[in-house]
Amino acid sequence: MLSRSAERIYWLARYIERTENIARLVNVHMNLLMDLPKGVEMGWRQLILINASEHTFYEKYNVANERNITRFLLADDTYPGSLLSSLTAARENIRTSRDLLPDEAWEQVNEMHLFAKKNLETVANRRHRVIFLNEILKGCQRFTGLLSGYMSHNDPYAFIRLGRNVERADMTSRILDLASLLLSESRSDEVRQYETILWMNVLKALNALLMYRQQKHSRVNGDDVLNFLLQDQNLPRSISCCLSEISECVIKLPNNGEVPKKVSDLQAYVHAINTEETTQAQLRGILDDLQNKLGGLHNEITNKWFLIITED
Amino acid sequence: MKSIWENYKTDVAYDELMYSEYQSRPVSHQLCRYLDSLKKEDIDKRKTAAELAIMEMGISFTVYSDEGNIDRAWPFDIIPRIIDAREWRIIEKGLKQRLTALNCFISDVYGEQAFIKDGKMPGDIVNSSKNFRKECIGMKPKHTVWANICGTDLVRDKDGIMYVLEDNLRVPSGVSYMLENRVITKRVFPELFQDIDIQPIDDYPTHLHDMLTSIAPHQNGQITCAVLTPGIYNSAYFEHAYLAQQMGAQLVEGNDLVVKDDDCVYMKTIRGLEKVDVIYRRIDDDFLDPEVFRKDSTLGVKGLMRAWKAGNVALANAPGAGVADDKVVYAYVPEMIRYFLNEEPILPNVPTYLCSNPDHLEYVLEHLAELVVKPANESGGYGMLVGPHATAKEVENFREIIQKDPRNYIAQPTLSISTAPTLCKGKLEPRHIDLRPFILQGQDTFVTAGGLTRVALKKGSLVVNSSQGGGSKDTWIINMEDK
Repeated sequence: MLSRSAERIYWLARYIERTENIARLVNVHMNLLMDLPKGVEMGWRQLILINASEHTFYEKYNVANERNITRFLLADDTYPGSLLSSLTAARENIRTSRDLLPDEAWEQVNEMHLFAKKNLETVANRRHRVIFLNEILKGCQRFTGLLSGYMSHNDPYAFIRLGRNVERADMTSRILDLASLLLSESRSDEVRQYETILWMNVLKALNALLMYRQQKHSRVNGDDVLNFLLQDQNLPRSISCCLSEISECVIKLPNNGEVPKKVSDLQAYVHAINTEETTQAQLRGILDDLQNKLGGLHNEITNKWFLIITED
Repeated sequence: MKSIWENYKTDVAYDELMYSEYQSRPVSHQLCRYLDSLKKEDIDKRKTAAELAIMEMGISFTVYSDEGNIDRAWPFDIIPRIIDAREWRIIEKGLKQRLTALNCFISDVYGEQAFIKDGKMPGDIVNSSKNFRKECIGMKPKHTVWANICGTDLVRDKDGIMYVLEDNLRVPSGVSYMLENRVITKRVFPELFQDIDIQPIDDYPTHLHDMLTSIAPHQNGQITCAVLTPGIYNSAYFEHAYLAQQMGAQLVEGNDLVVKDDDCVYMKTIRGLEKVDVIYRRIDDDFLDPEVFRKDSTLGVKGLMRAWKAGNVALANAPGAGVADDKVVYAYVPEMIRYFLNEEPILPNVPTYLCSNPDHLEYVLEHLAELVVKPANESGGYGMLVGPHATAKEVENFREIIQKDPRNYIAQPTLSISTAPTLCKGKLEPRHIDLRPFILQGQDTFVTAGGLTRVALKKGSLVVNSSQGGGSKDTWIINMEDK
C-alpha cells in the first residue's frame, strides 16, 4: 500500500468521524438547551469552546447565538472545522482513494456530500436541522457499516480504524474537558440543580447513555461518567477502548518500530488516572495533557508510515 | 398525445437507428417498440433517474476554467446506439488488423526503417514528427508491441460506410465512461436487457490487466502493475482511479515512484520501497521523465526512461508510440497494412490531403471552404477548421496558418457523419455521433464490444468532444441471428 494512499485513507476516516461527531454534538446540545430553563449561563457558546475555535468564530460573527453558531459549525465552508468542510475533505480524500475502497463507500460519501450541500440553508431552522443532522448521522453510520461488511481486514482497513479512533479519542477528551470546565468554574446553584441532566447529555454526545446504565446500574453522576468515558474497556467511544483499537492496528501494521510501545505508554497513562482523587483543576490539566499526547501519537503515525524518505 | 418521434429528420445524414420518422432499422425494432410502449413522462423519469445515478456515482470529468477546476457531471443520453453484431465482427477484424500494422510500423521506425527505405513514405515525415523520440531507437518492447492501448475513432458517412477518422495511440481516454454508461443504462432500462441480446462489455478491466501482465519484464511470481496518473486535477483522473480500482492495481503519482541506482522502479509504500513491474502510464511522453524529456516536469519520474531501456519495467504505451498518432502518418496506414501484413485494409481511411505535398496543398487551398482542416498533432478537437461551418474570415485566417506550416496540417472532405436519436427536451432529435472502440494488444489482441459513442449535443454540431459540449451514449452490439 502506498504511503500517500495510507495517509489519504487515514484522513478520510478522521474526517468522517469528525463529521459524525459534530453532528451528534450539535444535536445533543440542542436537546440539552431545550431542557435547561431560560437564563442559565449554559448556551451555544460552549460548542465553540470544545474545539477551541472561539477566536475564529468572533472574527466572522458578532454574537454567539444559536443561528450563528450552528451556521459556523455546520455550514461555514470557510471554517475548516465545520461539518461541511470535514465532509468536503472526506469526499476529496475518498475521491482520490477509490482504488482501495468499495465503490459503495465512495457513493455513500458522495451522496452525503450532495445532500449536505443541497440542504445547507435549512440548518437555520431547528426542525429542519434535526432532520439534517439525523441524515448525516445515518450516512456516517452507513459508511462505517459498509466498510466493516465489505472490506478485508487489510492494511487500508487498519488505517481507517486508526484514523477513526484517533479522531474519536480526541473528541471524547474534548467533551470531557468541556464538562469538567462547566462543573469546576463558578456555577450557580441553578446549574448545579441540572448537573445530572448535563452529565446525561455528555453521555448522549458520545452515544453512551444506554451502555452506561447497563454497566453502572447507578444514577448518573460526574465521577462515574468520567471514569466510564476514560477507562471503560468496552465502550467504543471511551478513551481506553479507542486506544485498544489503535494498539491492535499498529501492532498489525508493517514497520511499526516504536509506535506500539508509544501506544501502550499512553494506555498506561490513561489507566493510571484516578478521577476520585483529582480535583477538577487537576483533571483539566490531565485532559489537556491527554490531548497533547494524542496529537503526539498522530505525529508518530505520520512519521512512521506517511513520509517515506528516500536517499538519492 | 404527440409522439416523441414527431418530425424526426433522417435526411441530413445516415441515421443509425431510423430510416425515417415512422420506420426503424432492423437493429432498433425492439428498442423502438419498447420506447413507444412508454408514456412521455416515463421517459422523462428515466432520464432523471440516469442523471441522479451519474451524480451519485460521482461520474465526472474536470473542466479547467479561470474560476478554478470544476467537476462536471458526465453528460449522458439515455437512448443507446445500436450496431448489428454481424457488422461489428468485420469492424473488429479491421481494428485488429490496423493496430497490428501500426505496431509493425512503429517497430520499423525505431528499427531498420524499411518502410521509408522502400519508398513507401518520405523519411522527413517521421523526422519532423514531434512525437518521434530518438531516445527510443533500437528499443524492442515485449511482443514488439509499442501501442498496447489504442482508441480508434470511427465515423459513418452518408454512404453507410464506417471510416477510421484517427488512431489515438498516446493516452486515449474514455473507456471508463463506456463502462459506466452501461451500468447506468442497465439501471435505467433493465427490461431491455432481458429481451435483447446485448454483448457484455464489463470484461475490459480483466483484459487490460491480462495485457499489462503479459508485457511484464519477468513472468515469475507476483507482477506489480501500477496506473500512473498526473494527479487529482487531471480531467481524466476519474478514469485513472476507476481503472486502477477495477484491476486491483496501484494508482500512483510521479512522487510515489522512485528509480534507484539498480535502474529499477520502486513505489513508496508503508512497507518501504516495493518494486513495480508494469506501468500503465496516463502521462504524455513529454512529462514522463525530466531526465530525458521536459526538465520542468513534476508529474513524471526521474530515471523512468533509464529503467525502461534497461528492461526493468514495462511502460504502456511505450514511449515514442505516439509517432504513429500523427494525422500525416495516418494517411499512410492503408499502405502499412499492405506492406507489413500483405493484406488489404478492412476499414477505409477518410481521404486525406497532406499539405506537405505541393499538389495536395494546391487543392486544399482552392477548396478550403468545403474541407475540414486539422493540425497533425492535436487532440480534443482543438485548432481545426470546419470549412462549411466557418466564416469567410476564419477560412482566410486558416489559409495563412497552413501556408506557414504545411507539414502540420491535413485536410479531409467534410463528412456528413451519422446521427442517432437523442433525447432533447422530451423529444427525440437526430444528433451527430462517432464511436471510439478500444483495442488492447500485448501477447493477444482484444477489441471492446462496441466502444464509447460520443454525441454532439448541440443541434447541427459535428464536434463530439466532452470538453466542447459533447456527451455520450451506451453502445450496444446486438446479436440478431435467431431473430
